[in-house]
Amino acid sequence: MNAMAVKFFWRFLGRWRPAVILATALTAAPAAWAAFGEVIEKPVPEFSRLGDRISAKLIPRAKSTSVQIQFSAAGAKLLDVSGMDFEKAERPEVDVKNFKAALFVIHLDSVTPGGEAKVSLTSDFFISSTQFYVFNETLSQPWIISDAVNLTLPDRVQELVVSVKDGGPLDSDGKADGRITLVGGPRDSFWGYALGTLFIRFFGIFIVLSILMLGMIFSGLVFQWLARRKAAGENKKTAAIAPQIKAEPKGPTGNCLDPAAAAAVAIALHLHLGGVHAPPVMDLSGPPPGSWTLHGRAQMMAERMLVFNRKNR
Amino acid sequence: MSWAYVFELIQNIMITQTGIPNLAIKEVFMIGVAFFFLYLAVAKKYEPLLLVPIGFGIFLVNFPLVPLMGFSEHGNPELIRAFYKYGIEWEIIPCVIFLGLGAMTDFGPLIANPKTLVIGAGAQLGVFITYIGVLFFGFTLKEAASVGIIGGADGPTTIYLTAKLAPHLLGANALAAYSYMAMVPLIQPPIMRLMTTPEQRRIKMRQLRPVSAQEKLLFPLIAAILIILLIPAVAPLMGMFMFGNFMRECGVVKRLSDTAQNALMNIVTIFLGLSVGATMQADKFLSWKPLLIFGFGLMDFVVCTFGGILTVHIMNRFLKEKINPLIGSAGVSAVPMSARVSHTEGLKADPDNWLIMHAMGPNLAGVIGSASAAGMFIAMFQ
Repeated sequence: MNAMAVKFFWRFLGRWRPAVILATALTAAPAAWAAFGEVIEKPVPEFSRLGDRISAKLIPRAKSTSVQIQFSAAGAKLLDVSGMDFEKAERPEVDVKNFKAALFVIHLDSVTPGGEAKVSLTSDFFISSTQFYVFNETLSQPWIISDAVNLTLPDRVQELVVSVKDGGPLDSDGKADGRITLVGGPRDSFWGYALGTLFIRFFGIFIVLSILMLGMIFSGLVFQWLARRKAAGENKKTAAIAPQIKAEPKGPTGNCLDPAAAAAVAIALHLHLGGVHAPPVMDLSGPPPGSWTLHGRAQMMAERMLVFNRKNR
Repeated sequence: MSWAYVFELIQNIMITQTGIPNLAIKEVFMIGVAFFFLYLAVAKKYEPLLLVPIGFGIFLVNFPLVPLMGFSEHGNPELIRAFYKYGIEWEIIPCVIFLGLGAMTDFGPLIANPKTLVIGAGAQLGVFITYIGVLFFGFTLKEAASVGIIGGADGPTTIYLTAKLAPHLLGANALAAYSYMAMVPLIQPPIMRLMTTPEQRRIKMRQLRPVSAQEKLLFPLIAAILIILLIPAVAPLMGMFMFGNFMRECGVVKRLSDTAQNALMNIVTIFLGLSVGATMQADKFLSWKPLLIFGFGLMDFVVCTFGGILTVHIMNRFLKEKINPLIGSAGVSAVPMSARVSHTEGLKADPDNWLIMHAMGPNLAGVIGSASAAGMFIAMFQ
């Protein structure tokens, strides 16, 4: 029965079979290919300390240039910050792609036991929707969204301020001992970014090419106007010269020709006597010519003109 | 000296200094792939100028122990690695190719009908659809962008972007781009017929206005100003493209223009092809990823063709003088193959309808469009 059902379904699909196979592959494959390129793009932060602040320099995922993240603490002493491999914190509920920067292990000291400290992460790499996720493997649900405040500073810099209570759920050491270990990282929506940028950039191309189009239409109009003006000027000149030519008296013998007519006669004689013949005249009557036809005609005319070119002989 | 010593010596020489015992099945397979591409290039004449050096590059680097793509003990690049490093890693060759392309290009049809620029933009649809599509397969954003650009049907742009964002995919991307460009006459016509009615295919377009030499001379300057101001990341490609075109149109540097069009272009094509082919070493290339890239590359081309024709249909809703939708498919850049395909399909519908000059407009717009898309991606990942 099952085989029959499959057979029926297969026949029912008809010409859509390849599409269905592709769709099945598309839905089945992502899990298998989820690790593509991750190793290549793994952020490797380098830390440096300047007074109370620690700075991390790293190339985040989907970026080619490095960014800086500044760490500072209030209500505690910032002891140390280090990077952490995401594999150690990998759980089904989180996707590494959303953590474009890295995971950090932040150690704080000199906290009032059981008291609260504030950790600040400042960078122009963050955006207003960036969140700070905390990983605490001692909890049954190790990943927690911290209620970090995202502040906008001048020069497009964002500051994430995370409040951590000594011995609280965000403190990985779990003890109210005056020391805090905060493990986590800034998180952005991968798909939000991918889709948002897709939209912006696809329409961006339309905008760029439309601006170019407008520029070309405008310059085209200017050039056409200039060409018309030039043609009108030449027409005027011709009109002014023409009566003069008409009015010119003929010579006493009556043998004087104007230069254009003399050249035409000379060329006719040359063609007749020289053995170099132009191709036979083509019949160009018929339907109105298209661009291709006109282009062909222009080429033929250009070829004909070669017989008049005496430069190389 | 005993016989045992001699045999051991021979054995050592065989193992360490000859390729035969080191030849693996995967390398033999890749040599087979090289033969396939050489066959396509020589017998079928599919993009021979590129596929011959690419095929030979694949062929050469898949022998065991060959000192071609590695580094010497002192860290110096071996022969083809040097071509790759200085030509592609340093992003020089794609830009030089754009210089040559600019010197070869007559922008007349595009200047005469600037509306076709919008078609070039619409034909980038596949680039972005593929970009999202491959993300579902776990590709990173940079990899997705480099695969997406294949549909732009612009070899140098694909190589430029891939070398910048995902150099490990260079061989597969370049090969997919050039293979599909060669197959434009096979891929596009069914989509064109599917998306147009016979009446639409018979639409005759008004003859293009003549374009003056001054207009052609100023075009590269105007275009460079606008595009580079809007997308600075595309300056290396677009700058070289427009420089090449300016040399052509100014008419005072005919020797330089001629060199850019012929000798220089031929030289860099040899190095480009060899370097790209050489990236396809068995241990790096033999995975499912290149197959996926080839699959998505094909889809990309199809969607780009679809996007170009769809854009013409949308434009025709607003235009008094209708555009023949067949020229929409020329919006993928593949110059001039896709314009020829539009022309041929037009002739099939009406033997008196000559579309080639009209199709060159979107075709050139496609070059600008795909370079712009590449610039957008580069800017995104900076």
